Amino acid sequence: MNKRKGTFGTAALNTPFVVWSAIFIIVPLIFVIYYSFFDQDSGVFTLDHVKYFFGNPSVLKSFGQSVWLSVASTLISLLIAYPFAYFLSKKRPASQRVQMVLVMAPMWMNMVVRTYSWATILEKNGLLNNILESMGLGKINIIGTSGAVILGMVYNYLPYMILPIYTSMSKIGTPLLEAAEDLGCNSFQKLTRVIMPLSLSGVVSGIIMVFVPSISTFYISQAMSDRKILLIGDIIESQITGMWSTGGLNRGAAMSFVLMVIILICTFIMNKYADSDEGGMMI
Amino acid sequence: MTDRNIIELKNITVSFDGDTVLDDLNLSIRDGEFVTFLGASGCGKTTTLRVIAGFITPDNGDVFFDGKRINDLPPHKRNVNTIFQRYALFPHLNIYDNVAFGLKVAKVPKDEIERRVDEMLELVNMKAMKYRKVQTLSGGQQQRVAIARALVNNPRVLLLDEPLAALDYKLRKDMQNELRRIQQTTGITFIFVTHDQEEALSMSDTVVVMNEGKIQQIGSPTDIYNEPKNAFVADFIGESNIIDGVMLEDYKVKLDGREFVCLDKGFRKNEPVDVVIRPEDVDIVPAEKGELTGEVTSNTFKGDYYEMIVDVCGFKWMVQATDETKVGAKIGLIIEPDAIHVMKKSKYSGKFGDYSTFSDEMDQMEEEEEEAELESEATENE
Repeated sequence: MNKRKGTFGTAALNTPFVVWSAIFIIVPLIFVIYYSFFDQDSGVFTLDHVKYFFGNPSVLKSFGQSVWLSVASTLISLLIAYPFAYFLSKKRPASQRVQMVLVMAPMWMNMVVRTYSWATILEKNGLLNNILESMGLGKINIIGTSGAVILGMVYNYLPYMILPIYTSMSKIGTPLLEAAEDLGCNSFQKLTRVIMPLSLSGVVSGIIMVFVPSISTFYISQAMSDRKILLIGDIIESQITGMWSTGGLNRGAAMSFVLMVIILICTFIMNKYADSDEGGMMI
Repeated sequence: MTDRNIIELKNITVSFDGDTVLDDLNLSIRDGEFVTFLGASGCGKTTTLRVIAGFITPDNGDVFFDGKRINDLPPHKRNVNTIFQRYALFPHLNIYDNVAFGLKVAKVPKDEIERRVDEMLELVNMKAMKYRKVQTLSGGQQQRVAIARALVNNPRVLLLDEPLAALDYKLRKDMQNELRRIQQTTGITFIFVTHDQEEALSMSDTVVVMNEGKIQQIGSPTDIYNEPKNAFVADFIGESNIIDGVMLEDYKVKLDGREFVCLDKGFRKNEPVDVVIRPEDVDIVPAEKGELTGEVTSNTFKGDYYEMIVDVCGFKWMVQATDETKVGAKIGLIIEPDAIHVMKKSKYSGKFGDYSTFSDEMDQMEEEEEEAELESEATENE
């Protein structure tokens, strides 16, 4: 990366961003850390709230469930997104643009609305079951299963997996692919020896961009499981929304803090695998 | 060089979106030859190279490799390797792994890969840095790695797509010598694409001059320079004065109202022709002793010679001399028989070889334009 001396112009352009980050990122972060370690009422330093995360079986169970559901949906997203991005990057530029717009189109709608639509389709008396019943196949229960939550996560976050992988693939460029062919690669060898290693940074970005929101989501699990599956995000949410009950805000902040540290560690490890020269750093 | 043809192109036609890029092209390349495709951008030289490599399937015509038709053989099955315009080294591999790439794909045993890669890196003087990342290399070094990566596979034919275009002048000269040396030591057929006529003349056994998707002339560098076939070739290769003339009879040509003795024959009586006279072949004498007389309208110092524009009855000649002549001076010109080259009229007649609009500045502008075109051509190909 270029290091340039900041001129007045670049400083002026930077300022709004710096102010924005300070007010909406740094300050809230300080609050989170403060409430994690200092009691809401007495202001005394304590590790009780952090211990609550590790000492409470129901919290740990939710955390475990969050990990497995988000890992599963990240893997499924990857399995869908990678071949999609690969075939897309081989298409003609015009059709690539159209298809990328289609990938992004659902993101123009609010996530809550989209998730609710899925819930309505899949619920006990929803569209899917009506169709099944009219065909004489009987109802199936989807809402409330892990599968429904994974579906919600994959559906919502898939574009975040496709975008970075597609970008890193289209950056590879024809000359390198032709060079590989010229040196004896068939299509499969071209994929394994050139495309896969050169799109690894996109894969890492995609994994992080799907895994992080999945592990901390509370909304998708509520809509898709009818509140039967409680994720760590749901517990944090219920602690904080009930924050005037004693210590709720503290416990919510402490859980957020622990979750954040765990995510940061995961991200750091993932980035180790990506070639940092390729600009794939994502936090 | 042998007499056997390794590559033959027969009636090759290629068009992109209705534009004909190669027009019924026929060409034979001998095994072990250093051939250069020379022409301005858009003349079809890179397209011809890509047809041989297999990246473009011709609309019409056949490609033969060692006597076998290979139209339908994909690039990875052809015994041909390419050095790409911008090298196209793999950024995720170091120098060693870049060079070893083709051998690994071909599943060559490990110790043999090691030996051959080392040998190759030695040949291009890059052995000392073999574990360096390729992004940290200069243009010249990347070029060497690209050469090693292609040659290590022992191709029968090496295709070079303007490989020196991105290098500075001095480095380009060095790499020209180096490529020539490598070609002679390995005996591999080199097919080299360039728009630089000097490069083409100094490196090649055979030069193929192309324009508008057609071959204008095939010949040795001296043939191409001394015996250009038409006004396009004469103008493209070096500087030329191209004057309308009439062939009175064998060995006698009339231009600017005067008869000259020449070495050409075999034209019809009184056939209109193009006469090529190179600027360095014109002798300058005092006005009263000249066969032609003219007035010097400009004079540019070029280092080892002066380049003058001389107005002879309204036609501007370019003349090169080692002595300075003042602008405005009247001088005489003498043209020896062996300085005259007579060509048949072609569709390029009258388009080239008059220096009335000539200036250095324009030359430079053209060059820049050409480079810009080259860039856009490269992106179009992608």
